[in-house]
Amino acid sequence: MIDFELSEQQNQIKEMTHWFAENEIRPIAMEAEKLGDVPYEWLQKINSMGIQLNTSSFGGGSGESKGGKKKEREGNRMGVLATEEMAWGDPAITLSLPGAGLGGPPVQSSGTPEQQERFLSIFTADEPRWGAYALTEPEAGSDASGVQTTAKKVDGGYILNGQKIFITNGARASWVVVFATVDASLGKAGQRAFVVEKGMKGFSSPKKVEKMGLRANETAELVLEDCFVPDENLLGGEELYQESDTKPSGFRVAMKTFDSTRPIVASMAIGIARAAYEYTLDIVRKEYPKSGRLFHLASETLATLEQNIQAARLLTWEAAWKADVGEANAKEAAMCKAYAGQMALDVCERCLELLGPAGLDGHIVEKWYRDVKVFDIFEGTNQVQHLVVARRQYAPYGVKV
Amino acid sequence: MISFQPTDEEKEFSNVAAKVASDKIRPAAHDCEQNREVATDIKDELANLGFLSLELPESNGGLELPLITQAQIMTSLSYGDLGTVQGLPGANDAASFARSKENAQLQAKLDGEQTTAFIDVTDADLSLGEALQINKQSSGYSINGLSQPVRHATSAASIIIAGKDADGEAVVLLLDNQNNWDVTDADIRLGLLAAGIGRFSFGQTEVEGDNILASGEEAEKWIRAARSRIYILQAAKEVGLMHAALDYATGYTAERRAFGQSIAGFQGVSFRIAQMAIETRIANHLLWEAAVKADAEETDTWQYALQAINRAHQAVRYVTDSAVQLLGGHGFVQEYPAEKWARDALAQVTLYGRETDFLSQRGEEILQSEKKGVTT
Repeated sequence: MIDFELSEQQNQIKEMTHWFAENEIRPIAMEAEKLGDVPYEWLQKINSMGIQLNTSSFGGGSGESKGGKKKEREGNRMGVLATEEMAWGDPAITLSLPGAGLGGPPVQSSGTPEQQERFLSIFTADEPRWGAYALTEPEAGSDASGVQTTAKKVDGGYILNGQKIFITNGARASWVVVFATVDASLGKAGQRAFVVEKGMKGFSSPKKVEKMGLRANETAELVLEDCFVPDENLLGGEELYQESDTKPSGFRVAMKTFDSTRPIVASMAIGIARAAYEYTLDIVRKEYPKSGRLFHLASETLATLEQNIQAARLLTWEAAWKADVGEANAKEAAMCKAYAGQMALDVCERCLELLGPAGLDGHIVEKWYRDVKVFDIFEGTNQVQHLVVARRQYAPYGVKV
Repeated sequence: MISFQPTDEEKEFSNVAAKVASDKIRPAAHDCEQNREVATDIKDELANLGFLSLELPESNGGLELPLITQAQIMTSLSYGDLGTVQGLPGANDAASFARSKENAQLQAKLDGEQTTAFIDVTDADLSLGEALQINKQSSGYSINGLSQPVRHATSAASIIIAGKDADGEAVVLLLDNQNNWDVTDADIRLGLLAAGIGRFSFGQTEVEGDNILASGEEAEKWIRAARSRIYILQAAKEVGLMHAALDYATGYTAERRAFGQSIAGFQGVSFRIAQMAIETRIANHLLWEAAVKADAEETDTWQYALQAINRAHQAVRYVTDSAVQLLGGHGFVQEYPAEKWARDALAQVTLYGRETDFLSQRGEEILQSEKKGVTT
């Protein structure tokens, strides 16, 4: 049945995360941006409360039978609801929360049970820890098949060499899912995903980058210099790649990850847009004239923004719903990411327009504008999302674009 | 629980509608437009299937389906041809008045066969030229002047007029005697040519007694409820047209070759197709959300209906124009359906409200309300 009401569990997580965003995240957002970091004491406190960013494990049922009744899996829907609320608080702090982050989905979906246990069980309340996801390189971003980091098979493992850039929480992460190729001439089929752990010899993070926005969140460059990674850290194990000999497995892991993470990234963009909209609405209600030219400008603008935010949310919910019910969602994941990223930027720009020159002085909307731009870029640029949608659209006609 | 899964019953209805759309409506679309009338066999088949009375209450012989079900059926039917669907006989928009409020006089008049036209003069001050005037008199109301162009003017056996009288009071009137109006010759060329678009002319037509269906606050609430339903159903038809234009343009650009390759291989083409797909999906989802809210009789249904119709208008213009553009010269000629769909789309959005006005109405509500945020 077509339905847009939240389940009890969905409502609970939405309310809980909103409370957290409003009372814990938002109050430190401007200060954290100024510091260029999220205070470690705050992260410790939050972590001890059991709050983490695990994009692959929002729970909500596994689809397994319980008491004779099959419980519908709703983890993806809960994930997008929760991240919208957290990003509403502040996206830079949300992305800095301890947890597996974007590294979680590939371990969850492609790791062996032993790897899942080993890598996902470290996120405990005693100390903040992070996971990360490293695909992008200086010469390969959205084109995951163009990865140049090499993995040479040696006795007991692989030697990795290469450079990864723009890695969220990359320097502080306890482990990073790293994509590399065992043989560049094999193209996608040569790709593998490894879990590289902090402290492994030859693995370093020489640089944190300065950015337009999301300044409180760490974005790192990672270098792998003759870094030995044992066989047991090859994601999914050798079996995964042997079983699917003819398929581009490492590439598939990366693509499958996008199907889970793009709706999450879209929901963050929606959270930022909603935050900017609500902040501006509050000011317009108090400060704007109640009739006349400016009133009409504000009313039409706000109605447009409200509609666009809701449009992005429905696209995102659909992508998450499809993932929960086990349907292919690559097209929907790309649609929501493409639309939400651009929409959120537009919302922030138009909110700044409504605030006028005063918006430049100490108003958080200009920070959100700087933060949100990258949501139209990372996890695949807007143009890449259009390419993914177009490919699915033309697939029935046998035309590859 | 958030879900985008239609029920089995909805799927069955949609499949039947889709088959009629592909087997009957699409092949006859050009002829229906040329003849300015829907072919009899299409009318008969849809009447037999009950598709002309989806919105009518059961007491009027209708199916009284939820809006979410109707929305899916209308989308599937309009995939065949919006212009043809808009020319179908029956209670049409007037059925939404019968559905929004019980009214014995109205229910006695509506059925799936007799055609009823709807004149919306809620925003009479937006009319251009000679406007329709409703004046309150001691014994009822008198109607004078010329209506804006509306569907089914040429075939209506009765008319619902909803709007405000000269004193600004809301009123809903029923006219059921064809001697009470004239239909003026209308020079309609843009689109929806099978929809019988024309203007009604009234010369001090008196409306009294039971034909005054409601007035004052009661009428105001009724009009808003009925218009919400009308907007949702019209948005559904527009979504059907979008799907048609998107699929046709995708197929055409996949097969059409230039510079030694399929033109789909050019990103200027494929990205436009992707954007059309995204806009179509958005319009569909805002439509579904509004329909579900209306079925649940939520108090803010009007807000969702405004969003649905506004987005559908915006998207149907974009998608149908894009189809013409992507077909190039073929998009401009009548051998291909794209140009007709673009014309129909623009006629449709012209008939059913101004996009900026929808935003303005919604924006005023946002600023006047205490509500925070974007509703989930």
